[in-house]
Amino acid sequence: MGPVPLRSVLRAGAAGGFVLIFLSLVGLIGRFADLNLVGEQVTLGRVLLFLPPFGAAFLVARPRVVAGERLAAGPGAGAGAGAVTGVVTSALFGAAVAFADWFDVARIRQVFVAASPAVIEFVTFERGVAVGVLILLGLGVVAGALGGLARTGQRRVTGALAAGAFTAILMGLLQRIVPVAMQELGIDPDFLYSGRTRSLTWGGGVGLFVLAGGANVLWHRSGQETREKVRATMAQEPAARTGILVVLLAVLVILPVLLGSVISQVLGSVMVFVLLGLGLNIVVGYAGLLDLGYVAFYAFGAYMMALLTGATLNTTTGSAAPAFSMDLNFYFAIWIVVVLAAGMGLLIGAPVLRLRGDYLAIVTLGLGEIVRVLAESRWLQPVVGGPQGMRGVTNAAIGDYGFRQPQHFYYLALAFVVLAVFVSWRLSASRIGRAWNAMREDEQVANAMGVSTTKYKLLAFAMGGAVGSLGGALFAVQIGSLTPASFQILVSITALAVVILGGLGSLPGVVAGALVLIGLPGLLREFEEFRLLIYGAVLVAIMVLRPQGLLPNVRRMRELHEEEAAQDEWVRRFAEGADEAAAVGALPGGPLGVEQEDLT
Amino acid sequence: MGTDQQVRVAQLGRLERLPWRRIILVILGVTIATTVGVGAYRTLTLPEGQGYAARAWGDFIVLGLAQGSIYALIALGYTLVYGILRMINFAHGEVFMFGAFGSYFFANAYEESGFLERQPIVALAIILGVAIATSVVVAVLLERIAYRPLRGAPRLVPLITAIGASLFLQNTARGFFGAQTRGYAKPGFLEGRWEIIGVAFPRIRVVVFLVALVSVVLLTLFIEKTTTGKSMRAVAEDSEIASLMGINVDRVIVITFAIGGVLAGIAGVLFAMTFEAVNFFMGFQPGIAAFTAAVLGGIGSIAGAALGGLTLGLLESLGPSLILTGYQVPSPFQLKPAFTFLVLVLVLIFRPGGILGTGEAEKV
Repeated sequence: MGPVPLRSVLRAGAAGGFVLIFLSLVGLIGRFADLNLVGEQVTLGRVLLFLPPFGAAFLVARPRVVAGERLAAGPGAGAGAGAVTGVVTSALFGAAVAFADWFDVARIRQVFVAASPAVIEFVTFERGVAVGVLILLGLGVVAGALGGLARTGQRRVTGALAAGAFTAILMGLLQRIVPVAMQELGIDPDFLYSGRTRSLTWGGGVGLFVLAGGANVLWHRSGQETREKVRATMAQEPAARTGILVVLLAVLVILPVLLGSVISQVLGSVMVFVLLGLGLNIVVGYAGLLDLGYVAFYAFGAYMMALLTGATLNTTTGSAAPAFSMDLNFYFAIWIVVVLAAGMGLLIGAPVLRLRGDYLAIVTLGLGEIVRVLAESRWLQPVVGGPQGMRGVTNAAIGDYGFRQPQHFYYLALAFVVLAVFVSWRLSASRIGRAWNAMREDEQVANAMGVSTTKYKLLAFAMGGAVGSLGGALFAVQIGSLTPASFQILVSITALAVVILGGLGSLPGVVAGALVLIGLPGLLREFEEFRLLIYGAVLVAIMVLRPQGLLPNVRRMRELHEEEAAQDEWVRRFAEGADEAAAVGALPGGPLGVEQEDLT
Repeated sequence: MGTDQQVRVAQLGRLERLPWRRIILVILGVTIATTVGVGAYRTLTLPEGQGYAARAWGDFIVLGLAQGSIYALIALGYTLVYGILRMINFAHGEVFMFGAFGSYFFANAYEESGFLERQPIVALAIILGVAIATSVVVAVLLERIAYRPLRGAPRLVPLITAIGASLFLQNTARGFFGAQTRGYAKPGFLEGRWEIIGVAFPRIRVVVFLVALVSVVLLTLFIEKTTTGKSMRAVAEDSEIASLMGINVDRVIVITFAIGGVLAGIAGVLFAMTFEAVNFFMGFQPGIAAFTAAVLGGIGSIAGAALGGLTLGLLESLGPSLILTGYQVPSPFQLKPAFTFLVLVLVLIFRPGGILGTGEAEKV
């Protein structure tokens, strides 16, 4: 197979097979079996069956370095090796399916609750195990060959195909939001979406595929020029920047009108997490302090807002007044909450200032848990209601216009998000932001250069806490009632995932991260069950494959890459995989640049 | 320059030289000591019938020691990995959970078939074996897939990965085995109490303590006496030099994770049999507590992990009732998790090196 060693093919193929078995046992394939994307034939479950052999083949066909020479497989060899990889993957999976069928699924089900006859039926395409496994093998060959081609074919062609496929799948996933929006705009969505199959029609799917693919080709043909022109205009004309900002804001403002109440509800949650992400981004992204107890500020903001605006405690017999309560206007209370949260940031920050990064993470995790335990405890029940929580939080009404209703809440949240984005953006460019940069890159050097690390660390905790409490206060307004169950440690980890996915220190990244991680699962109820599983996978995958995130902050990316250059051991594995590490290490020019562009 | 000004400058200088941090620490320490002392005094001098009888305190101590020995077993996993990789394997609690869950299916099948009562020792050995095997597989996979590609990466990168891995494993268990809590069978001879020198000890607690003790002794012997143990110590000392000396560092790291898995598997069975239940979330609290124990004892040190585990177990079982009851806090045991974390925070503030360690947690 030319430049592709057989061992590598077998290993990747087997890995793909295990991934498939994992996806089935954890319940993903069964859950998504009937989630139609295009027509009734392309379901998310089938896409999941397709992806592992495709991905394994894509990995196998990568260019590699042998004895100092970069060998890239041609399309023929790539497709061949890919097909073999795909067959290995589906053979392993097919064997597992056949075994499950022979051993009796009901018995397997006693251990793995997701293994059911329905899943077996689905993965064998409802044709019985013998025929089904043959189909699986065929699928493996096709998916593998495509995966190999995707890596070795001409960039222009593969790029266009990938863009088309991605768009079609994405629009299929957005089946509950796009048709609604189209209807609101007065366009009949029937030509694109079918109400019967609850998915894209075949015409719509193919159309989108062609459209996106074509756009990709055009973009690559004339893209370079256009991009440069746009960039130049942006740099020279402040009016252009303002114009874009205005358009962006206008879109954001009409969004809930277009999307209706259900989706606005989701958008509201996205906004709350954008706020949390922005706050955490100050602490983790700017100052480089890993705070896992961020939920503490969220909870503090929510409960404080409830107490300051006259919420009552839930009790078994009805409601009771809390031991401490005030009846302030929301727009006055919010500033008290923010200031108090900043103070709490100082209090939390002060004792843990001198701890090294990973200790800091665990200690803050502990502090976050303490807040939840206290909120649940009988000790503080007279103040915050214990497990039953509180209700009757203000709806922040201006006159008669309350903000509890999803579409209205969106505007309230948007206002605070814009404020927080502005503050973050100005902070990052300010003297404070530069001090944080210096501190994050090297604390000792920053100290020696006269940056008071104590002061700036405390400032980061205070600012981060303030923004986080905003998120909490808004959350309290959004749902109107609070229970400790909303303030699990998972909130901290979700906020962290939002920041990490987009890229540490990157503001567009936070927004994108929240849209993907909060928005998508909110729109597709099927995802809800697997939300945390996916968050975990995202955290690991991003850290292993692309530590700078999806929309990286330029400086931060440079930083991560400088560190790479210094830490050759990591790079070597990063770039070549452990087995070729020795060969690369012997290269005169070092391992950098050989395959970086493919992976990062 | 007038003398007045000079004096003022000198005073300012003295003010700046004042060790603020130390002063704050001393004040904080005195406050905490007073709070604890007064609380304990008030609890112990509560009138008859309101406080706890001597017997209750005895039970607390036994419970604390047994719970602490489970913490110690898990803490050893943290400490071993930290000693060699200088990373906090945040997902170690999940390794423990998988061990407990893996053995659950065997324990319950044996109970249904009656094998657990007929051959309790054999059955227990198989259950332990299964738990150990499951935990070892999870630990080694974790190292191979999530941590190995990140070796030498900036410090926060593996930590964030570990948090992600923990979440992933937890929800994998949820997907695999379902979200409900399941009852875990234990053989009849572990029910009830043993009367030893006039005190009735719950049998399961005694067994837990003994098994943990034997495990720690065996581990110490392994590390001190075998060649593999020696190479582990060498890698912990300096992995680069160790690899120059012909030690396969990758192999040592895998072995370290595997040993952590063995201990976590044992701990999983002990924990599940003590509380007679398993669920996918059971790894979180013990995991954090065990990490606290490792830090409390001095992370990186085996004796420290064992000592820290027992100390934390005792603190947890005695602390809330001893201190908080005196202040009339209702249901002090609800606050136990908060108490654990408070201990962790205080240790890191006052003695970052732990009981057996020295100096501060290094700053990098």
